[in-house]
Amino acid sequence: MTITPTDNSRVAISAGPRRAYGEDVLVQAPAIGRRRRSTRARHESYLAWSLLTPTLLVILFLVAYPFFSAISLSLQDKMVGAPGRFVGIDNYLSLFRDEVFLRTAWNGVVYTAVAVGLKFVLGLTMALILDQPRRFNNVFRTLLFVPWAVPVVIVALNWRWIFDDLSGFLNNFLITFHITSDIISWLADPRLAMACVIAVVVWSGTPFYSMTFLAGLQAIPKELYEAAEIDGASTLQQFFFVTIPRLKTIFLTTVMLSTIWTATNLQFVLILTRGGPASRTEIFPHLAYTTALGARRLGMGAAISLVFFPLLVVLIVLLTRRMLRPADE
Amino acid sequence: MARTTSGSARLLRWVGNGLLVVLLVWTLLPFYWMIATSLKADREIYGFEATLYPHRPTLAAYGRLFATTPFMKYVRNSTIIAVGNTLLSLAFGCLGAYALARLRFPGRSLIARGLVVTYLVPPALLFIPLFAVMSTLRLIDTHQGLILAYLSFSVPFSTWLLMGYFRSVPLELEEAALVDGCSRLGSLVRIILPMSLPALAVVTFFSFTQSWNEFLYANVFVNSVEVRTITTGLSLFVVEDVFFWGPMMGASVLSTLPPLVMYLIFQRWVVKGLTLGAVKG
Repeated sequence: MTITPTDNSRVAISAGPRRAYGEDVLVQAPAIGRRRRSTRARHESYLAWSLLTPTLLVILFLVAYPFFSAISLSLQDKMVGAPGRFVGIDNYLSLFRDEVFLRTAWNGVVYTAVAVGLKFVLGLTMALILDQPRRFNNVFRTLLFVPWAVPVVIVALNWRWIFDDLSGFLNNFLITFHITSDIISWLADPRLAMACVIAVVVWSGTPFYSMTFLAGLQAIPKELYEAAEIDGASTLQQFFFVTIPRLKTIFLTTVMLSTIWTATNLQFVLILTRGGPASRTEIFPHLAYTTALGARRLGMGAAISLVFFPLLVVLIVLLTRRMLRPADE
Repeated sequence: MARTTSGSARLLRWVGNGLLVVLLVWTLLPFYWMIATSLKADREIYGFEATLYPHRPTLAAYGRLFATTPFMKYVRNSTIIAVGNTLLSLAFGCLGAYALARLRFPGRSLIARGLVVTYLVPPALLFIPLFAVMSTLRLIDTHQGLILAYLSFSVPFSTWLLMGYFRSVPLELEEAALVDGCSRLGSLVRIILPMSLPALAVVTFFSFTQSWNEFLYANVFVNSVEVRTITTGLSLFVVEDVFFWGPMMGASVLSTLPPLVMYLIFQRWVVKGLTLGAVKG
């Protein structure tokens, strides 16, 4: 991510184009000759690989192996505790004939797009407000970012209780102040359930956006605004021609990261609605979860979680490039 | 923002203040409801007599939480797993990051790329096959199993974050130490680590809170109450179809405290770490 030039450059990790230690030493010692150099390089290489061993083991056994085994599982009709039989792409084919799955796919698109969009708008608003000069801004910032530190499960449980039919805060509040007289079944009403789930996702995820956006805003040199003002730019023009272009990279990175995390997070749905009512809030990670662990169909579950992987790959590739790019480029 | 003294600037300031109030209410209301519920007696929680604030505040819900539920066991398990994961992530992260930042060897950029990709692969894709791995290794229902599973996201993140930070430590400092006969590992411990305390704080914070908050793996890889963590334990309060909202909100308040306190202590570094590390949110 390339947001880093903040006020405290010690913390702003700039992975600049500085060379690794060994290269500089080698350049300084040309006279020693090839053999010394290669021994040295080999020694450095050994050391590097041994230092990296734990990390590589983690990557290989806890991510790479499971990933490929997910692919192989998705090509079998494996149930929990029974040997699987190779069925080719049958699991995938039957998914696309399955109405619940097709609804899930559509839900996932709506859920992700709306949640990410709202988090973006709210996050940017929050960041712009916190960037205004104001007394006690530190306190406000801390308070507004707090949801980010709360475990997602607790967020979801707490909101489930707020949405509770009989005694939850919302109905309680609306009835006490005579805004409605009927009890609203927030999470059980097919028209409302998805909106409620998205509201919770947005509540929990907005601070992440505000934090990155605020850091970006504070990194914009004030001279740019002063120059724009001298040129007669209005506040709105300054926003569109100075602020927005400067934040473009941050916008992209934040949205891509958040899209991966939003689309694949099943905790909100699992706790708030369990995919109901009538699959209205079903999204693919939760469907994979219930298929693999509820119905014990591991092969089909793996297929569900992998169907959207090609889409994720695009995001992952783009993000990897960004996150490894030197910060001061 | 712009420093005009015009009316539009004043208007903007008031719009900002107004929106700030709205956002504060939206953000803090759920906390209010959580804390208020935990301080009520059942009579005020349910049914027609439900109140918007505790008329007679009581700690009874907390008493019931400790007396009738295995909450303390969950706290113990979450702590063991979060601390274990944090220590291992720090150790593995420092070693790997040093190699990637300071040593030259074939395959270096490939590994750096692999780390980021690993970090971005979502757990929702991995939990089914990982369940099989854990079963084969007989790590279901063990603390070690969960610590191991959490390494899959905390190690790539820590290594990547520390790598960036180590690179920003001036080379000259380390060169001087190496010329003076300091070994590579010695210079890591004596030169680089002391200069990287903010990054170590960020890694500590993230490894701890991510393990503490994790739910999916904890739910899939653990069934026994002896190993169950807070997040899954709490969600079971609901799934068992008995809604003891009082004790449950009490438990929510208490289990939010550790990550919250860490956030308050580390926030200066964490917010910065996040803007470069962009951490799960």
